[in-house]
Amino acid sequence: MSIRDDQFSYIGKKIPLIDSIYKVTGEAKYLDDIRLPGMLYGKVLRSPYPHAKILGIDISKAIKLQGVKAVITANDTTKIKFCHLPITPNKMVLADEKVRFVGDEVAAVAAIDEVTAEEALDLIKVDYEILPAVFDPEEAMEPGAPKIYEDCEKNIASRFAREFGDIKKGIGGSDLVFEDRYTCPPVVSCTIEPHGCIASFDIYGRLTLWTTTQNPYNIQRALANVLKMQMHNVRVVNTFVGGAFGNKSVILPLEPIAVFLAKKANKPVKIINSRFEEFISTRTRYSMIIYLKTGVKKDGTLTFREAKVITNNGAYNNKAPGITLLTCNRIGNLYRVPNTRIEALIVYTNNQYGDALRGWGGPQAHFAVESQMDSIAHALNIDPLELRLKNANQPGDTTPWGWKITSCGLSDCLKEAAKIAGWYYKRNQTGPRGIGMAAVIHTGGGSMGTHGGGNFSEISMKINSDGTVNVITGDSDIGQGSNTVLAQIVAEELGVLIKDVKITSVDTDVTPVTMGTWGSRVTFICGNAAKKAAKEAKNELFKIAAKMLEVDPKDLDSKNGKIYGKRSPDHWLTISEVAYESTVKQGKTITSKVTYSPSNTSPPDLKTGYGNYCPTYSFGVHVAEVEVDAETGKVKVINMVAVHDVGRAINPLLIEGQIEGGIAMGIGYALLEKLQWENGKTLNPNFCTYKIVNSTEVPSIHTFLIETIDPYGPFGAKGIGEPATIPTAPAIANAIYNAIGVRIKDLPITPDKILKALKEKQ
Amino acid sequence: MKHKIRLTVNGELNELLVDPWQTLVDIIRNEMGLTGTKKGCGSGDCGACTIIFNGKPVCSCLILSIEADGSEIITIEGLGSGEELHPIQKAFIQLGAIQCGFCTPGMIISAKALLDKFPNPTEEQVKIAISGNLCRCSGYKKIIEAILHVRDLFQQMHKH
Repeated sequence: MSIRDDQFSYIGKKIPLIDSIYKVTGEAKYLDDIRLPGMLYGKVLRSPYPHAKILGIDISKAIKLQGVKAVITANDTTKIKFCHLPITPNKMVLADEKVRFVGDEVAAVAAIDEVTAEEALDLIKVDYEILPAVFDPEEAMEPGAPKIYEDCEKNIASRFAREFGDIKKGIGGSDLVFEDRYTCPPVVSCTIEPHGCIASFDIYGRLTLWTTTQNPYNIQRALANVLKMQMHNVRVVNTFVGGAFGNKSVILPLEPIAVFLAKKANKPVKIINSRFEEFISTRTRYSMIIYLKTGVKKDGTLTFREAKVITNNGAYNNKAPGITLLTCNRIGNLYRVPNTRIEALIVYTNNQYGDALRGWGGPQAHFAVESQMDSIAHALNIDPLELRLKNANQPGDTTPWGWKITSCGLSDCLKEAAKIAGWYYKRNQTGPRGIGMAAVIHTGGGSMGTHGGGNFSEISMKINSDGTVNVITGDSDIGQGSNTVLAQIVAEELGVLIKDVKITSVDTDVTPVTMGTWGSRVTFICGNAAKKAAKEAKNELFKIAAKMLEVDPKDLDSKNGKIYGKRSPDHWLTISEVAYESTVKQGKTITSKVTYSPSNTSPPDLKTGYGNYCPTYSFGVHVAEVEVDAETGKVKVINMVAVHDVGRAINPLLIEGQIEGGIAMGIGYALLEKLQWENGKTLNPNFCTYKIVNSTEVPSIHTFLIETIDPYGPFGAKGIGEPATIPTAPAIANAIYNAIGVRIKDLPITPDKILKALKEKQ
Repeated sequence: MKHKIRLTVNGELNELLVDPWQTLVDIIRNEMGLTGTKKGCGSGDCGACTIIFNGKPVCSCLILSIEADGSEIITIEGLGSGEELHPIQKAFIQLGAIQCGFCTPGMIISAKALLDKFPNPTEEQVKIAISGNLCRCSGYKKIIEAILHVRDLFQQMHKH
C-alpha cells in the first residue's frame, strides 16, 4: 500500500461490511426467504426447440389440475416487446407466434406449491412447427441461412463502425502488422442465488414487486412499460441480493410473468429459477469473435489497431450494441493507440441471448488485445513488460477517441506488479511453469450515453435528534459493500461514528431515482453525492453549534461524534446535543439532498462516437504464474499478483475482496467456463458439468493498491468491481505461452486445446 | 399421505408432518421457517444448503425429510445471534470473508463441522473441507483465512 493519510477516521480503514451480522446469522432475507399470506408459486413453460412456430397452445388440462390457480399465455399479457435499449425491442414476455431459442418462455402456471405448478406445466400442450435454426454468428450471415426475423437481412441485428486518427497513415507507418482471430465463449453469471421475484397487487391494483436486483429503477421503468401501468403504481423493493455481477439489472421475463400470474390469480406469486433455468435461460456474457490487426514500429511503438468484432446477439435484443461498443473502445484505448478503425456486427442466432456481466465487453477486448501484445513482444524480441510501458496510457492524455485520462497509475501498476511477481527471474525459468501479464483500462465511475441516459446518483440524509444519521440511497448494495463505503464517506465527512450511520435499502416508493449499480460506478458517483450531502448537513450543524459555542462556523470541525473549535478543541459539543437543539428546540430537522453527476463527461457524439463519457478510468495489471502439465494439458494457476490503481482505497478490505473474487471469476473464464451449446441445447446446465472455481483451485493471491488520488473521485477514489476481473484471463493465456510456447486464442483454454497445440507445435 | 417425523433442530425437538418427496432443506426453510439455510441448486452441487446432520456436514437438499426422522440437526441459526456470535461468525466478519452472504451460512457450517472434528487442520484440509461450498463473490481467500484464524484461536485456547 502507498502511504495513507492518518488524519482520516474511516477512509482507508479495513472496515467489515456493516450488514455482516445479518449475513453470518442467517437473518438476511433474500428473495426466496420471503413469504406472503396466500402466496402462490409460479413455474414457466419453456420452448424445447431453438426455432419453431407456435401453432397452438392447449391449457385446458393444466387449468383443471387441483391446486392450479392461474395459467397464462401471450394472450394474457399486453404483448408489448421489451429490450434494454428502447429502440430495438423484440422480446415478448411470453412467445406469441414463434420461439427463437431453447428456453424461450411460452406459458406459465401459478399453483399452491412448486410440485403442483411443475405437474401443470406437463399438462400444457404446445403445437410447434419446427423451423431450421442457426447457431454460429458467421454462419448466420451466410446466404441461405435461416432467417430469425423476417425483416432482418443476413440476421444482422445491428452494425456500426468507428474510426479515429488516420488509419492509412498508421498502416503506412508500420514496420510489422499482426493479425489474429480470437474467440470468447458464452458464460453465465452463476450467482449462487438464482434470479427470482414476488409480485403482489393490493386491492387498488397497485403492484409491489420484491426482486433480487441491482437496479430497481430500471426494473420499475421497464415493468411499467410492459404492463402499461403508471410508475407510481409500480413499487419495486430490493431484497438482499445473493450475487448479481451485472446480470440482475434489467427485467428478465420472469418478472412480468409473475405479475401477469398475480393479476390473473388475484394472489401474490413467487417465481424462482431452478439452477437448470439459470443455465439455460438467463442471459449470458456475449460470445464474440474478434479479428484484431495491430501495427507496430520495430521499436514496439503502436501505430494502429484495426478490428472486426462479431457479437453473437442470441435470439433477442438486449445490451449487445452497448457492450460491443465497449469492446471496441477498449480495443481503441488500451495503451496509446494513435489510429483505430473498428467494424462491429451484432448477429442474431437461435441461442440464449446476452446481457451485462462483470466487465461488460471488457474481458473479450482485453483477451484479444493483451494476448496479441504478448505475441508482438515475442516477435520483436522485446520484454512484454517493456512493450507495455512504452505504450502505456499516461495521466493527462486525451485519446483519439476523446477520452480524457485524469488519474492514471498504469505504468506504476506495470512496474509494481512485475516487481512483486519476480518478473525477470520467473520469465526465464525452465520447466512447466510460466509467467504472463495483462493490463486493464475500464471506467472507474460508470459512463454516459451507452445506457441512453445520464450517470447520476442522488443521496438524501437526515440527522435524528440523537445525532444518528439515516442515509437514503437508490443504488443497490449487491454484496460488494457499497453501503459500507457510503457509511464510511458519510461518517468521515460529517464527523460521526460509523455505527451511528444507517443506510436504507432501496425501495422505489421512497428512495431517490438513480442509475443503479453497474459500471463500477457506485463508489465514485454515489460516493460523491454522499460526500456532498454530508458536507451540506455538516454546514447546517455547524451554524447551530457556532451559536451554541459562540464561535464562527468557519472555526469549527467535527470528528468522532463531536463538534469542536479548531483553535480550542476543549470547547466542544456532541453532535447529538446540536441535533437535539435543532430538531426539538428549534423545530428544524437537519436534512440534505444532493444529486451528483460528473462535470467532466458528455455523451459520445452520435455519429462519430467521440467524447469523454466516463468521469475517470481505473487501471490495473495482473501477473499470472501457471504450471502446465504437458501430459494431461491441465493448467494450474499457482500465483496471481494484482496491482490496481484505485485512486484512493476507501476500504482496502473490501477492495481486496473484489480483486480476489474477480480473479476467481477470471480463472473460470480463462480455463473452465463455457456453455456447451449443441443445436441450441445446453449440454452442461448444472454445476457438475459447468465448473466454476472452487476453494481448491484458488492460487496464492498478492494484492497491491496504487493510490493516484483522482481529482474528481470522493476522497480521490475510483471503481474496482470490474477491473478486478478483466485482466485475469489474458494474463493466464500469456503465462501459458511463456510456459510451453503455445498460443491459444479461443477461450476457455481447456486441456484438449493445449494438447492439440502441443502436438501441432511438434 | 403425510408422514410424521421427529427432528431435533438446534437443540429443540420438533414434530412435523411431511410429504415423502419433501427434502430436508424445504422442511427446514418452509415448515420450520429457518431460512438461514439457502437453496442454490437443489442437487447437492453448490453447498448453500449445508447443515450439520448427526454430526456431519451434508447438503440438506439431498436428504428426504422422511429419512431424517430421529436425527439431530444444526443450522446456522443454532450457532449464535446478536451479541453471542460463534468465533467462526466473528472471524468471517472481521476478516472480510463475506460479500453477498448467500453462501455464508453453508460455508460457516462446513467450517464448524471441520473444526469440531479436526481442530488443527492444514490450509489444504480447510480448502478441501469447503470445496463443496461454491462462492462466486469472494475467491475463497478470506474465507480460508477466517477459518485458519479460528483454528489458531482454538489452539491458543487449548494451550491455556
